[in-house]
Amino acid sequence: MSRPSRAAPTRTYTRSRVLCRPLVQSKLRTIAALGTALDWPDAKKQAHLVRSWGIKQLLEIWNKAKGKERDAMLWGDEVEYLVVTYTKDDPKILLSLRQADILEALASDKALSKDGSCSPTTQPPPVFHPEFGRFMLEATPGKPWGIEFKELLEVEPNMKLRRIIAKDHMLPNEHPITLTTFPRLGSPGVFTDPYYPASGPKLRSQFVPDEIANPHIRFPTLAANIRSRRGRKVQVNVPVFRDEQTPWPWRDPTVNHDLHQWPEDDDVRNGAAPDNFIHMDAMAFGMGSCCLQITFQAKNLIEGRQMYDQLSPLGPIMLALTAATPIYKGFLADTDVRWNQIGNAVDDRTPEEMGEKPLVNDRWRIPKSRYASNSTYISEDPRLRPEYLDPDLVIDESIKQQLLDGGMDDRLATHFAHLFIRDPIVIFSEDLKELDLNKTDHFENIQSTNWQHMRFKPPPADNSIGWRVEFRPMEIQITDFENAAFAVFMVLVTRVILSYNLNFYIPIKRVDENMETAHARDAVLARKFYFRRNLFPTARTARSSASGSSTPTGAGAASRPPTPTGPVEDEYRLMTVNEIINGTAYAKATTPPTQDDDDNDEEDDFFPGLIPLVESYLDSVNVDVATRCELATYLDLIRKRASGELWTAAKWIRHFVAAHPAYKRDSVVGEEVTKDLVAAVVKVGECEGAGRQFRTLCGVEVPGLEGLLGGFSGMGGRKASSRKLSAQAGAESANIVLSIQSYPLSSLF
Amino acid sequence: MTKLILSTGNIVSGGPSIIRKPGAFRSNLELTNSLRSNFLAAQEDYAAELAHSNGAANGNGNGSANGADLDIETGGRPPASVWTAQKDGALYVPAIDGDDHGLQEEPAQYDITAKLFFLPGAPVSQRSQHAKEALEHVLRELRAPAVDLLIVSFPGMSFEGDCEWEADRINSAQGNDEDEIATWPAIQELHRAGFAKRLGLAEFGSEKLSRFLQRVQVRPAVNQINIKNCCNVPPPLAKLAKEQGIDLLVHSDCTDILPKGTLRELLGQGLGGAGLLADPETGAGGLQGDLAPQWVVKYTAVVRDRGVIENKGYFAGATLVDE
Repeated sequence: MSRPSRAAPTRTYTRSRVLCRPLVQSKLRTIAALGTALDWPDAKKQAHLVRSWGIKQLLEIWNKAKGKERDAMLWGDEVEYLVVTYTKDDPKILLSLRQADILEALASDKALSKDGSCSPTTQPPPVFHPEFGRFMLEATPGKPWGIEFKELLEVEPNMKLRRIIAKDHMLPNEHPITLTTFPRLGSPGVFTDPYYPASGPKLRSQFVPDEIANPHIRFPTLAANIRSRRGRKVQVNVPVFRDEQTPWPWRDPTVNHDLHQWPEDDDVRNGAAPDNFIHMDAMAFGMGSCCLQITFQAKNLIEGRQMYDQLSPLGPIMLALTAATPIYKGFLADTDVRWNQIGNAVDDRTPEEMGEKPLVNDRWRIPKSRYASNSTYISEDPRLRPEYLDPDLVIDESIKQQLLDGGMDDRLATHFAHLFIRDPIVIFSEDLKELDLNKTDHFENIQSTNWQHMRFKPPPADNSIGWRVEFRPMEIQITDFENAAFAVFMVLVTRVILSYNLNFYIPIKRVDENMETAHARDAVLARKFYFRRNLFPTARTARSSASGSSTPTGAGAASRPPTPTGPVEDEYRLMTVNEIINGTAYAKATTPPTQDDDDNDEEDDFFPGLIPLVESYLDSVNVDVATRCELATYLDLIRKRASGELWTAAKWIRHFVAAHPAYKRDSVVGEEVTKDLVAAVVKVGECEGAGRQFRTLCGVEVPGLEGLLGGFSGMGGRKASSRKLSAQAGAESANIVLSIQSYPLSSLF
Repeated sequence: MTKLILSTGNIVSGGPSIIRKPGAFRSNLELTNSLRSNFLAAQEDYAAELAHSNGAANGNGNGSANGADLDIETGGRPPASVWTAQKDGALYVPAIDGDDHGLQEEPAQYDITAKLFFLPGAPVSQRSQHAKEALEHVLRELRAPAVDLLIVSFPGMSFEGDCEWEADRINSAQGNDEDEIATWPAIQELHRAGFAKRLGLAEFGSEKLSRFLQRVQVRPAVNQINIKNCCNVPPPLAKLAKEQGIDLLVHSDCTDILPKGTLRELLGQGLGGAGLLADPETGAGGLQGDLAPQWVVKYTAVVRDRGVIENKGYFAGATLVDE
């Protein structure tokens, strides 16, 4: 398919602090001074105070914002990068730890941050943010995107521009790349620039130095207090991929059982590193992962809650579909995604909470890490059957009662009472002097260290932004073409959900199971996921709902007659990602029949597929030809990833490693392979930025690229314009928020 | 002659009829499926109502308009009198009740598009009347003072062929320039009267469009074309549209969206039919005569800054002429 070329748009990069307020507002909050972060035993003593103040702040926002209405559909994407040093002649590829210098260079580029107006048609410069990993960067658009279809096409050039601006403010040998993880993070030897020895006082990791984390006091404190609360180091164990020459049982050869520097060095002697698992022991192994997150602003509270619930079952599907993480610490893993590694890397649960010891000091057993899949639904949608909820959901009853007394409804109070079972991890003593109800800091402290796969975000204290929902499971993709495709796809899916009032509910426990399933190697093709059979009302029982004022936008759901209630188990079945994304007809045509499919009743198993539904939606709205064609390309990429016609990044990386002459079929991804892999990723990025066809120009040098991207080439005529913009950007570009944020974790990771 | 007004109601959350079938471009399945399901739903609803009121009052108090009997010849369906209504000289299929219409928010919040299909076989002389009537139904249904865009689709046009160039070339000789230009003043009038803020055409290739532009007063702001898989707009059309400031939008509708045979099936006695027409063999069971579809209008109301389709549906006009 050839793509229409487009004249380079002329754009200026200006901004206004007021009009161009980004959607991800909490990231922009700044604290004037560094506070005194409490170490764990002291922080623990204040946990109850922070929670109780947090609840008061939440009720304050709730009362202020519950009636907020008719906010526009705005959305924002967040792209995270690893910064690597690479030159052709240097045998080593390293993680650059110059995050602070790069952000400083971006910030001091005065010409980039001059004030200006922000009309709806101009995008202000992108915004760069620090991340937990000192080798990471995050970039967001300068202002949120709207729902004009033409605007959806600005996402990809904007992502490219972000990369170019970032690169322009790095050393010549530094490159921003969008791999989820650095393949040799924590491997023996040197993997950072500059080099620091491992085993520092904060992380106490065998494998990574304390300097791997952003040095701002918040981050090392976060890591140290998680470790301290937990009573041992975090354990991030990933099953190793067993190749032909992999010794079996496999013992992670990089684990040192004879270290005696910290008490935590005993962990590995106490079974922290089981056979056949790659063993990691620090927050950086998880929170050092890059992902692609999308935040949507809802029309009102009701719609926000509806979107939260309906997107929730899609989380595992999108995780499997974006799989990009097959290597850890220099070894091929038997999983394809980052999710559980992050969960384990920030798991602060005590042995009592984990059920390893009888409950004595702690209040309850907690089945999941604070970074995990959603645990409940939050909408008051009549289609939400009680059977979908988890009867064993752990909540803090007294907090729930406070919220109920404050006027919040039962279901939302339950959600927050669940989040608030956690302790705050980082507390600054200065913040405990008095409760400020014009702030949300204590609420955010708990809210933003609950990293579920969706996040329901109330408006900020000044009520200037609407209710928002963040979709967090997707893995970052290697090219901006892919990242834009997935971002735009999710935007369109939300519009379809709201327009057609789709019902994706399945029991939340099944969503949990799906999240686990999504981890399997090649889950996108090899596994099946629980998914709802019928997204529509079962019958058009009442004409009143079909003709007239019935609206799919949230409130209308209430007027719908209740769905006939058969057994919940009959409402869903196991489906492949291909069936879910493309529909059963396409899936049937693109996969050979297997034995276990034969006895299925075909009529019963019909599923329309998300892409056909998106196409139905696009058929019903006014879209210009060029826009529709670009959108079709994005849908095509996703269609082919789901059907296996194209590979996930994880599969491409596995292919790349397997085909490398230095790989010995023993699961070890050595320095030479890593260098060539990262070099290939850098190369693809350069090709994309230069506006060349990936396939024709990079395909020769990058093995297997055809599998990953097929004939796609990113946005046709836009590339030249990005190039042009980069020169301009270099002279007058980015809008940098360098100041350390008060709640930087709120939407990171 | 009997005039029929068929309607689908709001189909946007109506389930399977909106699902696009793989590969089914240029489909009228959405229209036919949603008409069928709306007829069925109306029959069930009104029958239930009737049963209820019979039980309560023991009488037929629903003021049946067209006098059809509660008859065994309706094949188990409720009689037409129950679920259709005679009003202002037209038979509404199904009956449209008075309340329960309109949009949730004020009309300014919406982007409302109506696409009017003049069907082949319908007299050109009637188009002016049809256009007015169709738009009235839409505005009444949505309780809106105007549509933002009124697109007109003429019969006999297509945009098909081996992608760009050929489609444009074939298109040049399609349709009927004189009829189309003769129809336009009626459309312009709707615009001047404030019922349609912008006007549009469908399926006009570069040559037809430039001929058209030379002869009309209010110029179309939109030209809707069907591009299938082929994303290259014919260069002459792209150039012309750019010069003239005409937006080229995509659609996937048939031009002959409601063929006569399809309509007969929808209303007939057969399986899946509404049972409104008399059986052609026996003459029993309902309305008699030659059924001729005249026009179809599709309407869509999208919440402007949220991209949510709140209301979408169709009206169709047909005549039944005694033979």
